[in-house]
Amino acid sequence: MTLPIRRTRTALGAVAAIALLFAGCAPGDDGDDTEAGDAPTAGDVATDPSELGDITLTVWDQEVREGQTEQIEALNAAFEEAYPNITIERVARSTDDLRTTLRLALSGDDAPDVVQSNNGRPEMGQYVASGLLTPLDGYAEAYGWFDRFPESVRALASYSEDGANYGEGNLYGLPQMGEIVGLYYNKTKLAALGLEPPQTTEDFEAALQAAQAAGEVPIQFGNSEPWAGIHEFGFIQNQFSDAETIRNLGFGRPGSSWTSDDNVAAAQATRDWVDAGYFVDGFNGVSYDSAWQAFAQGTGVFFVGGTWLVADLTSAMGDEVGFVLPPAGASGQHLVTGGISIPWAIPANSDAKEAAAAYIDFITSSDAMTAVTEAGNLPVIEADQQTTTGLQSEVFAAWAQAGQEDLVVPYLDYATETFYDTITVAVQNLMAGQSDPQQFLETLEAEYTAATGS
Amino acid sequence: MISRGERLANYAVLALFAVIAVYPVLLILQTALSNDQIGGGGSFHVENFADAWDQGHFGSYLRTSVVVAILVVGLSTLFSVLAGYAFGTMRFRGSEVLFYVILLGIMVPAEALVIALYFDLRELGLTNTLVAIVMPQVAQSTAFGTFWMRAYFRGSSREVVEAARIDGAGHWTTLWRILVPMGRPALTTMIVLVFMWTWNEFLIPLIMATDESLRTAPLGLAFFQGQYTSGTALLAAGATLVALPVIVLYLFLQRHFIRGMVEGAVK
Amino acid sequence: MALAAPGRRPGEPRRVAYLYILPALLVFGLFVLVPLARTAQFSLYEWNGLGASTWAGLSNYRDLFTEPQLRGAFVHALVLVVFYAVVPVLLGLLLAAAMSRAVLRGMGFFRVVLFLPQVIPMVVVAIAWRQIYEPNGPLNDLLRFVGLDSLARPWLGDYTWALPSVGIVGTWVGTGLCLVLFLAGMSRIPRELYEAARLDGAGPLREFRAITLPSLRGELAVALTLTVIAALKTFDLVYVMTSGGPGTETTVPSYQVYNNAFLLGRVGIATALAVVLTLVVFVATVLINRVGERGQR
Repeated sequence: MTLPIRRTRTALGAVAAIALLFAGCAPGDDGDDTEAGDAPTAGDVATDPSELGDITLTVWDQEVREGQTEQIEALNAAFEEAYPNITIERVARSTDDLRTTLRLALSGDDAPDVVQSNNGRPEMGQYVASGLLTPLDGYAEAYGWFDRFPESVRALASYSEDGANYGEGNLYGLPQMGEIVGLYYNKTKLAALGLEPPQTTEDFEAALQAAQAAGEVPIQFGNSEPWAGIHEFGFIQNQFSDAETIRNLGFGRPGSSWTSDDNVAAAQATRDWVDAGYFVDGFNGVSYDSAWQAFAQGTGVFFVGGTWLVADLTSAMGDEVGFVLPPAGASGQHLVTGGISIPWAIPANSDAKEAAAAYIDFITSSDAMTAVTEAGNLPVIEADQQTTTGLQSEVFAAWAQAGQEDLVVPYLDYATETFYDTITVAVQNLMAGQSDPQQFLETLEAEYTAATGS
Repeated sequence: MISRGERLANYAVLALFAVIAVYPVLLILQTALSNDQIGGGGSFHVENFADAWDQGHFGSYLRTSVVVAILVVGLSTLFSVLAGYAFGTMRFRGSEVLFYVILLGIMVPAEALVIALYFDLRELGLTNTLVAIVMPQVAQSTAFGTFWMRAYFRGSSREVVEAARIDGAGHWTTLWRILVPMGRPALTTMIVLVFMWTWNEFLIPLIMATDESLRTAPLGLAFFQGQYTSGTALLAAGATLVALPVIVLYLFLQRHFIRGMVEGAVK
Repeated sequence: MALAAPGRRPGEPRRVAYLYILPALLVFGLFVLVPLARTAQFSLYEWNGLGASTWAGLSNYRDLFTEPQLRGAFVHALVLVVFYAVVPVLLGLLLAAAMSRAVLRGMGFFRVVLFLPQVIPMVVVAIAWRQIYEPNGPLNDLLRFVGLDSLARPWLGDYTWALPSVGIVGTWVGTGLCLVLFLAGMSRIPRELYEAARLDGAGPLREFRAITLPSLRGELAVALTLTVIAALKTFDLVYVMTSGGPGTETTVPSYQVYNNAFLLGRVGIATALAVVLTLVVFVATVLINRVGERGQR
């Protein structure tokens, strides 16, 4: 096609004229804000879903791994059986796809009724600030969630109404599962090296060297979906910094610095381990799922991973896999990244909030915690009341220890609304040798100080 | 004439490029038929397609794609024929400027429309509807279609039109009874191209609708990729399902596809 | 609809024409012109997509040049133009030229096969190529098989190679199109021209420069327009294959538009990007077609 050019000028003029017609109407200021003002108080809440009439409940979740799918499908079926008037329309997405489409979904008029929204500032914080989520306090009172969930769990999904303060204020979501990012190890391989699971960073580095000398891949790792890098760096940072520092940085609270000596040491160690060849070759091009599958099939002595993999790894490896908290480093404690699985929240634009609350109540009840456990996962509460074997029992023990000794530190991307993008790219750059530890930390520090003003 | 050697070399080069062109397609097909279990054997697992269909909800996605494609193709064809007829056979004030305004639309990338459109439609409560997915594509396809049909009507035989007129046919009758039936090849080419673009479109349906029942097949496939975490067989089977309608149509109507692109369909 | 007054000749002024173009103009105005104008307007505001907006003047456009990640997206788009447009056109020309001297049978079959990549949904293309680029995928297998182990790498995770790897997919999509276009163009060149040139003692090179290239101007313009626009608008491929990674090595303008508008809540930046992208597409189209037009005179 050859376009006659001269004429396009006239056409451009016409377009400009039409454009002028629309001047003066700025985007989004016609005051149609759906402030989440219709949050209920306890007295109003109908806690018997069977009285709500026929309802279709649209639920967006990211429970796509083996154990998670199993438990949520079982619970959904049980819920529909108990309340035949409610039909659940389940939309399952990967964590990544949920992240990239949730904002669009929440701001639409017919938003889903229940969604899993990552509790950090990049997601939940942003949505709260924009009035896209319903505060759950009224429901919490009616259903007794304040008793069911300890303060430490609730704080991880609590924000002030303007979204500015994280960890306090209204409750915006409830998790089903506990989550910690620990160290999976291949029992056969570690035994062949004549080693015990590492207790300290020195143990761990010695094990990495031994594994490498024996021709094994020391750490299996896949970082093409870059969120895995947050876990990998957090795992290392936990061995060099103290809990206070990591919590300040992770929650985006003033008082610490990314460029402090301990963080420099953590970033340097990350580089050194890459340079030493402790991570599997080409990890930036390996997907997370290929990585754990490779680990399950016997490539790699260690795998840094979250408890969401317990069911998958158990069915793939049986008794051959073990789980421990990260080695104790500078702080002398086994600090571990994690807290809660992605919490379930109710969009402000849902038109079935009461049914949604009943659903969330149902999937976080005591019976649900048992179902969660039976499908091979780690329930966020009442883990001590469950019976488990094998890998799962090791995970439960680690979780209990982390709780008792107050070892859990937050995911680092919680810090600011854009920190997810910042830290995923930064870790990829650091580990690929594109930036040195100093540049890496300065990037993070710049955003941290801009947000906290410290 | 050229030597035998040169002829052979030509064929060899063509064959090499043909192999490169089909290799990814064959790879997907082969993967789709492989064993879904990690490390499992066998090489003809047709049941993968049924499994992918169930697990990936491709029934729903493909249905939405079909509905969207029918609406976009139907509406934009109608509008293009009408507008192309006027631009191609009639003289009226402002016709040139109007035509070039529409021509601009062929060049505008969807990225420049969808963000503002999304927010304005949301204000009207129209996101998450077929309207939001279909109409932007109708508009862009109509821009191309008007350009395309105008060229056809301009080139259509004057004598035939004159003859129709002498027989007493008005402009409306002339269009539908004579010019449109005569223009079947041009129409088919346009329909085929618009169908292909609509079927393959990703950005507009990604933004305009988040309702599961309004997700089109390419979107469903992209989500299936993330959701389905073990192995690649079912993913490849899903990919085959999504590509199949376009490829089948292409094999039957390849001359139209190629002609359309060759004669300057810019999208 | 009213019938025309009898006896009018075609091409005479007709008011009824407005009725015919009305539906097209209406839908086009509502869903192209208005959104285009609104996009331009949004780009002058700072807005998170919810709540109220504040006037920002041209500061969003300034950010496009100062934020390395946004600037990088355009640089990457330029690299992709090389892979999507320049390489396929050169390859297509070379191959077509080599074949111009012969009348080959079975071209119909080859045309269908070579053109195939154009019609497959990009998401499917992306999934296929992702598999090819896997660390243990067919490409690395092939390299290892021929003894080039040192070249094997995780293509999409490699800072140097990720963008070219995405680009190669564009080359794959575009080459068949270019070849088919040029072969069609050449089949229209009268054989006698070549025979006359050969009588004058012209070699293949001069033949190409004096006859083939000038005759293909129109086809070149079409090929370049299609492939350059495809390169500038790349979205699905990056969304599915790399999500912009590793680091930000494969971000492209369209991806940043989506990311900023719907993930980061920076609608002003996103629309400013979209406006610049649109201008780039316009300028590229106009330039390419000018060259094409000039050649036809």
